[in-house]
Order: sequence, then C-alpha cells, then structure tokens
Amino acid sequence: MRALRTILLVAFVAAVMTTLAACGSSSSSSSSGTSSSGGSSLPAGVKNPVDESLTGGKKGGVLNEVQAEDFEHLDPGQAYFQLDYQITNSTQRSLYSYEPNTFSQTTPDLAEGEPKISDGNKLITINIKKGVHFSPPVNREVTADDVVYAFDRVANPNVANPYYLGYLESIEGMKDAKGGPIPGVKATGKDTIQIKLTEPQAAIVVASMVLPWTAPVPKDYAAKYDAKKPSEYGNYQVASGPYMMKNNSEGKVLGIGYQPGKSLTLVRNPNWNASTDFRPAYLDQINIAIGGDANVIGRQVLEGSDMVQSDAPAAPIVKLAVQQHPSQLTISAGGGAGDRYVAVNNSDGPFKNVNLRKALWAATDREALNRLRGGKTVADVMTHFLWNGIAGFEESGGFPGPKVDYNESPTGDMKVAEKYMKLAGYPSGKYTGSETVQVVGDSSAPANNVAEAVNSTLQKLGFKTKLNLVEHTVMYSKYCGVVSEKIDVCPNVGWVPDFGDPQAVLDVPFNGNLIVKNGTNSNWGLVNHPKINAAMEAAAKVVGEKARGEAWAKIDEELVAEAVAIPYQWAKEAYIESKNVNGINDYWNSGTFNYAFTSLK
Amino acid sequence: MGAGAAEIFAGADSGIDLVESGGEIAARSPLQLFWRRFRRDRVAQASGAFIVLLILVAIFAPLVVKLFGLPSPYTQNPSLSGPFGEPLGPNGAHPFGVDPLGEDVASRVIYGARVSLEVGVVGTAIATLIGVTLGLLAGYYRGWIDTVISRLIDVTLSIPLLLLGLGIGSACAVRGCVAGAIQPGVGVIIFLIAFATWTYFARIVRGLVLSLREREFVEAARALGASDARIMFREILPNLVAPIIVYATLQIPLNILVEAALSFLGVGVRPPTASWGQMIAAATPTFNTAWWYMVYPGAALLLTVLAFNLLGDGLRDALNPRTSQ
Amino acid sequence: MTRYIIRRLLWGVLLLVVVLALLFVMFYILPTADPAKLRAGRLQNPKIIAEIRHTYGLDKSLPAQFWLYLKNLFLHFNLGYSYYSNAPVKELIFNRLPATLSLVLGGAVIWVIAGLSVGIISARRAGSRLDRASMGTALVFVSAPEYWLGLLALFFFASDIGKIHLLPGAGSYVGLTAEPAKWFTSLIMPWLVVAAGTAAIYARLIRGSLIETMGEDYIRTARAKGLTERRVVLRHGLRSAINPIVTVLGVDIAVLLGSSVLVETVFDIPGIGRLNYIAITHSDYPIIQGTVLFASLFVIVANIVVDIAYAFLDPRVRYS
Repeated sequence: MRALRTILLVAFVAAVMTTLAACGSSSSSSSSGTSSSGGSSLPAGVKNPVDESLTGGKKGGVLNEVQAEDFEHLDPGQAYFQLDYQITNSTQRSLYSYEPNTFSQTTPDLAEGEPKISDGNKLITINIKKGVHFSPPVNREVTADDVVYAFDRVANPNVANPYYLGYLESIEGMKDAKGGPIPGVKATGKDTIQIKLTEPQAAIVVASMVLPWTAPVPKDYAAKYDAKKPSEYGNYQVASGPYMMKNNSEGKVLGIGYQPGKSLTLVRNPNWNASTDFRPAYLDQINIAIGGDANVIGRQVLEGSDMVQSDAPAAPIVKLAVQQHPSQLTISAGGGAGDRYVAVNNSDGPFKNVNLRKALWAATDREALNRLRGGKTVADVMTHFLWNGIAGFEESGGFPGPKVDYNESPTGDMKVAEKYMKLAGYPSGKYTGSETVQVVGDSSAPANNVAEAVNSTLQKLGFKTKLNLVEHTVMYSKYCGVVSEKIDVCPNVGWVPDFGDPQAVLDVPFNGNLIVKNGTNSNWGLVNHPKINAAMEAAAKVVGEKARGEAWAKIDEELVAEAVAIPYQWAKEAYIESKNVNGINDYWNSGTFNYAFTSLK
Repeated sequence: MGAGAAEIFAGADSGIDLVESGGEIAARSPLQLFWRRFRRDRVAQASGAFIVLLILVAIFAPLVVKLFGLPSPYTQNPSLSGPFGEPLGPNGAHPFGVDPLGEDVASRVIYGARVSLEVGVVGTAIATLIGVTLGLLAGYYRGWIDTVISRLIDVTLSIPLLLLGLGIGSACAVRGCVAGAIQPGVGVIIFLIAFATWTYFARIVRGLVLSLREREFVEAARALGASDARIMFREILPNLVAPIIVYATLQIPLNILVEAALSFLGVGVRPPTASWGQMIAAATPTFNTAWWYMVYPGAALLLTVLAFNLLGDGLRDALNPRTSQ
Repeated sequence: MTRYIIRRLLWGVLLLVVVLALLFVMFYILPTADPAKLRAGRLQNPKIIAEIRHTYGLDKSLPAQFWLYLKNLFLHFNLGYSYYSNAPVKELIFNRLPATLSLVLGGAVIWVIAGLSVGIISARRAGSRLDRASMGTALVFVSAPEYWLGLLALFFFASDIGKIHLLPGAGSYVGLTAEPAKWFTSLIMPWLVVAAGTAAIYARLIRGSLIETMGEDYIRTARAKGLTERRVVLRHGLRSAINPIVTVLGVDIAVLLGSSVLVETVFDIPGIGRLNYIAITHSDYPIIQGTVLFASLFVIVANIVVDIAYAFLDPRVRYS
C-alpha cells in the first residue's frame, strides 16, 4: 500500500558460474555497462553511477538515509538482498569486492591479491592482508582462522544460509557439513588459507567470494551466538570494514545500532586502518530511518539537506527531481538494474499455446506499463530479452528489438493480437476456452498497478481471470516460483544477474533444464523448449565476449520467436539525494548508495 | 475500532429494558409506538431515504454510471496520465479525476457502494443470525449452555479483530481457505465480520431473554405444554425483533468501516473490484499531489457510515424515548 | 472478594492460552507461506529447507510446537525469534511498545477531556443550537475512518507536504526520552486523529447519561438545597453519569493498543501495529503470534481490571 520498492532479489546460480569458469576469468571484460546508451538516454544533468568520480570527497559529516523497506538479514553469513548488501558492503570486508562503478571487475578486499589456483582447479590458496582489525569489543587483528570460520559457519544450519550449496558444494566436506569445521578449508599460516575441492570448480568458489559471507568472523567471540538456534550472531556482529553498527560494550547491536523496522546507525569502526582498504570512508556516521511514505520522504530528501533515499521515488518525486533538481537524481541503467517482464506459463494452461502468448504480447501496451512505473525517465520499453550494455544486445535487435509484428507497436496493437487469437483457434478473436487464468502479482505500488493493467489486457482478449496481489517475497516463494501452484501469469517478475554476461541474463529464467521442481524455481514461466535448452547448453561453452554475444543473441531471437514471456521494461533505477550530498551509487548493486564512498559537499 | 466497541457496550447496557418501556402506556403495541416515534424524527428519515437511494445506486450502478456519461470502473485509459505516470485531476469528462491506471474515480466510487453495502448487510445478517440463536439458547436454557456460550464470547472478544483480519486476509489471499469455503476478497471479510461481531448480538439477546423468560406469557405458554423451541422462537423472539433491528442497523456502519480498513491495509477486497478502502490505500503514496482519489472515496465512506449511524440513532431513540430529548 | 479476584485472574490466563491455541491452529491450518521456504529465498535446496525447518523447530508436530511455545513463554518469557532478523520477538515488542503507548495513552487523555467537556456542555444546553452542532460534529467523527482523517490532516497541516505548514507530519516520531519536545509535537496530529472518534462517542455517552441523571430525584433535592448549578452538575450529576465511561475506558484503551495499526501506518509511527502489519506481509509468524498475544493480553487484563474495579465501586454487584 505504500510505495515500497519492488525488490529484485539478487540471485546466484551455480550453473551460470560453472560455465563462466569454463570460459575463463570474467573480470576485466568491457561489458561493464558503460557502452552504448542508444535509446536509453538520461535527462540532462542526471547522474549515472558508472561515470561518478570516486575520489576527492570531503571528510566528515552525518548522512541521513531513509528507506520504506526493512532489511532482511544483516548477518554477513545470511545477507542476500540489495538493501542488506548496502550495509555489509561498508561494515564487512569480504575476500573480494566490487568498486561502485563496475559490475565485472573485482578488487581484492580482505584478500592480499588474486587467488592462486592449482592442482587442476582443485586447490585455492589466498593470502589475506595484515593490519585489518575487528571492531570493538573484539578489537584484535583478523587472521586466516577468522576466514576459515566464516566458511564453517556458512554451512552451519543455525545460520541458515540459503545459497551456499549452489556455490560451495565442491569444497571437501561441505556437502555433509553440520556446523563443525569443514575438512577442506584450513589456515596454513596466520595469513593464508587453503581450500581443497573435490571437483575442479575453483572458479565458482572464487566467484562467490565477492559475497559478504566470506567476511571474517571471530570464532572465539561468535561461537556462543552461533550455537543458538537460530544463530544470534547477526545481533552481536562485529565489523571489519570502515563502519560498524553502533553497539554496546558486549557487542550487542540489536536494539542499539539496529532496531528492526525502525532504524539502523552506522558509526566509524575505530580499529579500521585506511591504508589496508580501497574505500575512502568520508562520512563519520550514517543514520538510517526505516519505514515511511516514499512520497513524503522524497520531498524531504530533495528539499532538505544531508539526506538520501534508498527507495524508488514515486512518480511525482521523479518529476520534481527531473524538472527542478536533476543533479540530485542518479539513474542506474543497464545490466546492473535488471529487467521486468510478464511471466506466462509455457508448460501448463492456456499459454502453452504459442499463439496465445504472441497475442498477449501484441495486445500489451508496454509503454503504459512503463508509465505506471514512472515513465521513460526510469524505464525503457523492453523489446527482447538481452539488455543494453550486455554482449549480444545489438545483434539481437538493440532498442527497437526484433522485427516481428507482435513487437512492432510498444503501445499494443489489438489487430495483431486478433490475428494470433485466430491462429490459436479462436475465430472470434477472443478467448472462448473454459480455463480461468490465475494471475498473481505484487501488492505494493506501483507493481500492483502493472498487475491490474495486465489483468485488464487479458480480459480484453476474452480471458476470465482471477487476480490476486500478495507481498512480493510471498509472490515469488509461494506462488510464481512454485511449479505445483500452476500460476498462469505473473506480471511482476524481474531479474538481476551476477555479471554482465548474456548467459547470466538468460539462462536461469528461461532454461527448461534448470526448472526446480520442488523448491523455489526462478524460471517463473516454466519456459521449457528443448531446442532452446539445447542451444543454451551449447552457447554456455562458447568462449570470448563477442562470440558469446553472438551465440546468446541467437537464443534471444528464439525466445522472442516463441514469445516465452512478455517483456516490458529494461529497468533504470532512480535514486535521489539532497543538494549537499555527493552520493556514490553501486552500479553492481542496482544503483543503491555506497556509504563508504558517499560524502557531504 | 475501539470506538465501535465502546458504542456497542454502552448500547447493551442502556438498551436492555427498552422493549417493555412503552407497553403499558396505551393499548398500542410497542411496535406501533416505535413507528409513531420514528415518524417524528426527520433526520433519521432523511438518512433512511439516503440509504435507500444508496442501495438503488449500488444495484443499478451500471445504469447510474451510464446516466452520468462516465466510463465503466474497469476501463483503463493509459493516455490519461502524464509522462511520469502522474494521473489526471478532475475535469469535465472525469468529474472526480482518474487514478494512475486511468480508471475513472467517480465511476469507481459509485461501484464501491456495492462492496460496502454487501459486506455491511450480509456480514451483519450472518452475525445477527448466529448471535441471536446463541443468545436465545444461552438466555433460555442457562446452566452449562450459557456458560459455554459466554466463555466462547469471552474468547472471541479477546482476539483483536484487525490483527486477526490481517492474518486471515493474507493467508487466504490467493486460493481461499478451508477447502475453498472462505474465498479471498469479500468472502474473507464477511467471514471475519460474522466471526467477530456475533458476540454483540448474543450478549444483548441473552440479557433480554433472561428477563423475558420469567414473564407471564412465557409461563403461560409453558403451562400449556409448548415445546422449548416454540417458546423461544414463537413467544420470545417476536419481542426481540425491534431491538435486534436497531442494533443491526448500528452494527452495519461499523462493519462497513471494518471492510474499508482491511481493504486499506491491503488484505480486503481485491482489485479490480472497486472498494472505497482500497481506493484510499491506492492513493496514499501520492495523496499530496493527486488528492482526488483519496478524498472522494473517503467522503463516500463517511456519508454512508454517517447515514447508517443517524438512522440507527433514530431507531434507538424511537425504541427508547429516555435517551432522546 | 479475594476468591473472586483469583478466579478472575485464573480465567484470564486460561483465556490467553485458549486464544493462543486458536491462533496457533489457525495460522498452521490456513495456507500461509511456508516459513522455511520463505527463509530459504529464491534458490532452494531440499537439504537447506530441511535444516531451516529443524533450526526453527518447524519439523515437530503441531502440539509439540505449541507445548514448546507455551513452555518458553511461561517459564522463560521467550516469545521466539523473527524469521528475518533473528531478533527475539520479546525485544522487538518492548522496543515498539513505547510508541504505541505514547499514541494510545496520549489519545485517551485527549478523548476523555474532549468527550467530557463537550458532553457536559451539550447536556447543560440540551436542544440548543450548540448542542445540536456539537452532537452532529460528534457523529461525523464517529463515522469517519481514522486513517482517512489522518491523511486529510497530513494533506492540510503537515509541515512537509501540507497546504499549511503547521505540525510535524508522517515519520517525524521520536522517542520521549530522546527528544521530549519533538516527541510531543510529532504526536499532536496522531493524537487528535486517534482521539476524534472515541471523544465523539464519549461526548454522546456523557450527554445522554447526564441528561438522564439530572432528571433524578436526588438532583432535584440537591437543587432544592440551594446548591449552585455548577456544583450540582459536577458534584452530583457527573458522579453517576460518568459510570458508563469508566466501564468502557479501560477496554477502549486496551482494544486500541491492539488495533493502532491504521493510525501508525498513516503517520508512520513505529509501534506494535506496524510491527504486526509488516510481520504479516512477510509471514514472519513468531512476530504475528507475539503481537497478537500482547494485544489479547491488553484486552483480557483491561476486562479483569474493569470487573474488579466495578466490584469495589459498586457494592450492589455481588459475586459468587
């Protein structure tokens, strides 16, 4: 009911990693999203995260951040959400990290340099930096043992990390871990850890080291909290980064530095040593207020001082910002921001019929759907499935997209829709079958409006529909992601990948071989076309950015030809800041603010 | 909601002896007296007329909308929003403006009356039926039946209605609950209202029956060998009709507010069905710039509830002349 | 009397357990989202789901889970942990309690004062224009949904987005101990909104019962003794006219403590209502259970207090 942000959860999938590993290091490729800005131009004066200057900020000051949505899990072993990353990124030092303006180039963070991989991709050796200290009350220097413990605890059932198996299955002993030490992970010196694998999958394991779970955790301090079911370490966590959540002398954060649903306070970590870190950490303190009306907050941020907002601002605020405060608006476009499309069930129900899918595509006023989310400023009409800034985008049609009749009119064309309804076997041009279409959408604005608009389009085509709106995490985990629920249409799904690679964009949402039958599935439309599946498996093995782009562009064309989903938005995430704030946004994290780089003017 | 509880409790206290108050004055039946008094109350009559009009509008909503030349409440017109998606304000074609989907607010306000009245009337009717039956049983049989029913009332009253509504509303959101017996949307709300408000009727009826069962006409019927069921439903119940109508009338607006509140919190009536509470909710993110789709549904809600309250007040005063001056 | 109180208290505890059991069953039978799956996020592995179920005790039978919950509640006063933040539910609730208490108690002060004064003035001039105007206004307030009043108040008077920049608007709440002055100003609008409806009801109640009382014989006697009208009204009339208020006040406060979610939502006050609302949208079951438990507790305690107070105040009431 409030203008909550719609969250695109960051998802990581082992299959993607495996193949990325096969094609060599994904770093230092040029697909960071800075390339062609074609149809996706930003309004004059608006900032773009990839172009921001990361140095020269003024030291000191207190930043006030406001967000309607609460955090999910702040324990570095659990964090799995862009707002959570916003905190862990400035309080925790994982082995590797991204600088704010890139989505592909990693920087050694707690690690001293690149990992040494040997024994045919089955042994990883990493040295960690000297002189990194934990925040109070632990205070001591970080050693390799603390990283080893981070590996131990990620598999501890009390920590309940949701994704570790996808990444780390190949580590010796990880699969059977019950919370104790992992046999394959050892500190071989004060600053060195060694990871033994049973399969040659070092690249996947290394790739996952940008995630906060690799941040060091002091066993001597944390073990007693991790012994609880569930672990309470998150409420007593210590920091290794430039900031820490305010805590008391016992290290307790809950109720002091973090009041769930209310506020979070970051203060400087007194034990942080600037010479060991790439983060400038200009600010002295960050006060985060949780809850509130995005519209009210937006006005306060634009007209006040020292503030930033971590919610997508409501339409009137974007308008106000573009017209009167363009320099206070940052819009993150391209691979880092993700896409939004209408998932239609390819495997079950009426939309098994490709012509009905094409009819829906043709009938959908995609420009109107985008206007419901703020219009051209924050959204480009999506015409196919690869994104601007990602290899293969131009080959598969660029901004105008493939020249097929159901894609011609971004405002919808009922004549074309009628043609496909007839091809589908409904001579009247309207659906006359008996099935009721089950639509499940997101209940928060503006997503709910998109769902209603799609529902109305379905009815225009003659479908009887049943529209239900639920909270967005419930939408994914209980309905749209559950095969047995047989939801026909999910109008509010979206995808953000790990890397700026075409496979990361297309594989998980559209590869039928990756459908998870029991559990939550991310191929929401149950897209499962043998020809496309096979092409994806083949394209996964292609090496080299250009060749990969070409291979995946072909798959993109196939996806459009099958009309596997109705794409409507290449997202651009908008963020606003007060006039005296020099906000630095993380391109890799959907454009959210990075506290360790942001400064006051 | 707390306000509602207070009103009902107070009503229960002062209302119990009302049926009898007029009986001995003249040779008129209490119902006739009641009617005479009511006919003197202009405000209550006007409210009654307004409610009749509202019911007609709700029933003939499609006609009314056409009559005013408005589009259907489900017609979305994306061309009515600006480049940033901001909706258009009131104008000639759309007297109450449009919402972000380009749906006509006036038309939706008219259709919204359907949901409010349906929930208010049906929910109250079910609650009345349950409450009156249980209240009769408890008051008539007393003993363990009374104990069980009274304890049941205690338990029900201890559960906060709104919080329960939020829980059940979101749990039954998509597929319904209890093997489809509770359907999402209006069904859930009616269930909730019936579940939570039968207690008020049960309490009032129980109290009335406790005093009535000792009266001569009941004694006489018993002496003539009438069955318990006959005494309860043929002898006692007719004496309860007037107070039941009054309390039902006073309960309807409360239930309309409950529906609106739950829809406001996003667990009530589902779009695209138009509901006033849900419209206010949809307006909250931008109400300071697009005030029209917050103000009009709220005003409709206010007027409807006010009319029912005025009518209920009038009926109560007619039933119990002591409180009216 | 003592026996009566003890019995009343025991019944209160039993009532609480029954309410809890009802909720427990309801939320497990009804198809809420599976907490383990919610917790596991977008990519799930059966092993991880099983582990999460075990960690949170979800793999036990329903009666076993309920027994565990009761044991933790009554022996350790432990209400479980949030599925999201892993924070103890007890702490979350106590953390939110001050905001809700501030809102409700402040509102209660306003509605009692406003209700009493309007009610007395109206009763004294029953039938006058003033009386009719104030009773009409009262009925409007009774009929208006409070969240709508809240939005209107913000629309007109909020210092950030209002037409007249008068009072701090949504999201301005701060704790009493943090900044007392700001606490007060930030709550003025929510207090008025939360109090409006109830004040109106109280005014109507007081007016009705005062008019009734003023017709009684002992009031005539008091008047005949030559007491001033003011004294008659305040000393004699009001004393018995206020009875219905005393009965409902406690329960009204208690009920509102459990249903302040609407006003808390509109004004973005981080109270128990908001906590419950967010928990429900996230299917954060332990928080739902905890907040509903508190809300029920308020109602049950208030009822007991009212009953016992009544037993003391009114010697005619007998208890067996």
